[in-house]
Amino acid sequence: MTSKKIKWITVGVAAFYMALLLGWHLYDPSSSFKEAVPGADNRPQGKTRKADEVLIGEFFMKDSTNAPQSQLTGEWPCFRGPNHDNQAISAQPMKWVDGDYSVLWSVETGEGHAAPVISAGKVYVLDYDERMSADALRCLDLESGKQLWRRWYRVPMKRNHGFSRTIPAISDGLVVTIGPEGHVMCCDKETGDMKWSIDMKKRFETEIPFWYTGQCPLIDNGVLVLAPAGKDTLMIGVDVKTGNTLWGTPNSVAFKMSHSSVIPMDLGGTRTYTYIGVGGVCGVSAEPESQGKLLWSADKWQPSVVAPSPLQISNNQIFLVAGYGAGGALLQVDKQGGAWNATIKESYKAQEGMSSEQQTPINYKGSLITILPKDGGGMRERLAIYQPSDLHKPVWTSAADERFGLGPYLVVDDRLFAFKEDGELYVYALDNMAMKLLKKQRIMEEGIDGWGPMAYADGILIVRDSKTIKAVRVASL
Amino acid sequence: MDRRDFLRTCGAIFAGGVVLAAGGMLTTKTKGEEGDVFWQIDPFACTQCGRCETDCVLPVSAVKCFHANKVCGYCDLCGGYYRPSVKDLNTAAENQMCPTGAIQRKFVEEPYFEYTIDESLCNGCGKCVKGCTSFGNGSLFLQVLQDLCQQCNECQIARVCPSNAIQRVSYKDAYKLKDHA
Repeated sequence: MTSKKIKWITVGVAAFYMALLLGWHLYDPSSSFKEAVPGADNRPQGKTRKADEVLIGEFFMKDSTNAPQSQLTGEWPCFRGPNHDNQAISAQPMKWVDGDYSVLWSVETGEGHAAPVISAGKVYVLDYDERMSADALRCLDLESGKQLWRRWYRVPMKRNHGFSRTIPAISDGLVVTIGPEGHVMCCDKETGDMKWSIDMKKRFETEIPFWYTGQCPLIDNGVLVLAPAGKDTLMIGVDVKTGNTLWGTPNSVAFKMSHSSVIPMDLGGTRTYTYIGVGGVCGVSAEPESQGKLLWSADKWQPSVVAPSPLQISNNQIFLVAGYGAGGALLQVDKQGGAWNATIKESYKAQEGMSSEQQTPINYKGSLITILPKDGGGMRERLAIYQPSDLHKPVWTSAADERFGLGPYLVVDDRLFAFKEDGELYVYALDNMAMKLLKKQRIMEEGIDGWGPMAYADGILIVRDSKTIKAVRVASL
Repeated sequence: MDRRDFLRTCGAIFAGGVVLAAGGMLTTKTKGEEGDVFWQIDPFACTQCGRCETDCVLPVSAVKCFHANKVCGYCDLCGGYYRPSVKDLNTAAENQMCPTGAIQRKFVEEPYFEYTIDESLCNGCGKCVKGCTSFGNGSLFLQVLQDLCQQCNECQIARVCPSNAIQRVSYKDAYKLKDHA
């Protein structure tokens, strides 16, 4: 081969590789890529969703179309049950289950403490779905735990001892919820159809408490009573069927929203909505001729954080408790002539008498039952009974190893069920002055923060910890 | 015809025959008929573990996401489309659950959106299916795309499937569609 030929071959090969190198550099492999940018879904202009925009009750999904119609009729329709006293009294003698209780079903939830209500064989709970950052009202079958439907709406928020808090209220075929950020939603309790909604934060400039809204809705004779405790409005009454506001109480006392709930009471013959806000305690008339009128208020006892609700202990006395060192107080409300007078008769620190951090005590036949708070001295976290005549010395306390943390308790006939916050259920036989431990059973292995109140109907007790709801058969029908 | 041409012609005929036979077999196999068996996923047993993406013998898995339109809630806030705790409800890449952008959505009417799957982009990871199943009503589900499946004698995904969701099925069950259940 001639040197000239070799030279041309070398030049050719070099040129070939140069062209390859050049092509490799010039070729853009991503030229066919399409950027995923906002607006590719053809959403009409002006309907762009802002990150924090909440459309209450926006989404609905039916999960089961062939669930059998339940024959159960039991009701636990709201916070503290049908009589707002955390007690279920059966018409027939109870057929208690002997031996271990069976767990009928278990349902996972978002982290939180929202507790369910029960109505005609269905369970309703306002859960928080962490994945979708959404409040979700879930309707479950009481006997199987099968989810029947859900209605939800997006509310991005940060975890703060979980998310969910409150207990729905059921009345007039409707279910009403209050979300952790103060979103009120009303749905048909059978179909889940959306009826109406109120955003308390937007409408009343409510300042949502640090650990989110703990207020449970109260429906009283077709009127939904809310305490937004906002800039101008302390309390409102809403027609539960239409969502129309019937009356409003000006916030002349400048209370802010607490974690406590409105409780109806009969004080001196006057039906009253009693509420502990941040700033004090107040009573608003529930009487038809003066509905919404602020009757009385007291600001001598105003803990910065209040979770328990007021407890009526006599015709004119209300027992107040709060945690974080606040202790307890006795409020007396008297009507003299046309004027009301609300006086704090006594108040004391947690270690000095009856108190509670989170749960509202029970008035059982005139005796007061509580779980003492963690700052309750040597008796901290124990179950205790007090007589209204002496709020400082308990007439009975549970044993030293029977401590319940912030767990809930309720009464069914003559038994008290106390749920230890780690998932163990204690059952006591009740007497006015004492209790006798009948049994204890672990319901949740390694339960965490079982603080949500329990619900009971049709022989089934529903308990929850921070991530699970379980139904336990405690009596047969 | 000389000896060289003769051999060349025979070789060409043989090679052509092999290509035609292979093509014919593949065509028959893809179309399928009574008596054939296929690998398929039971969507109700699938736990969206992610093995379908990584264990298929193909460079990009033959498992794809399917969408049952009859089952779909057409939600704006779709658990299969959006990443968990998404900040904004728009189609920006950072908000999407699908790592390859295989799910497209179109506005239908307030507040509904229609979702479609681009099979050429889907890698069968099942992330959207997990999202849809855990929050929505499970209208997204995984299926072996029979056009792509090699129908290996021993399916590599079936071997590792933790829920035994991949089984041999007959021709009539070649797809287990949720909206035909």
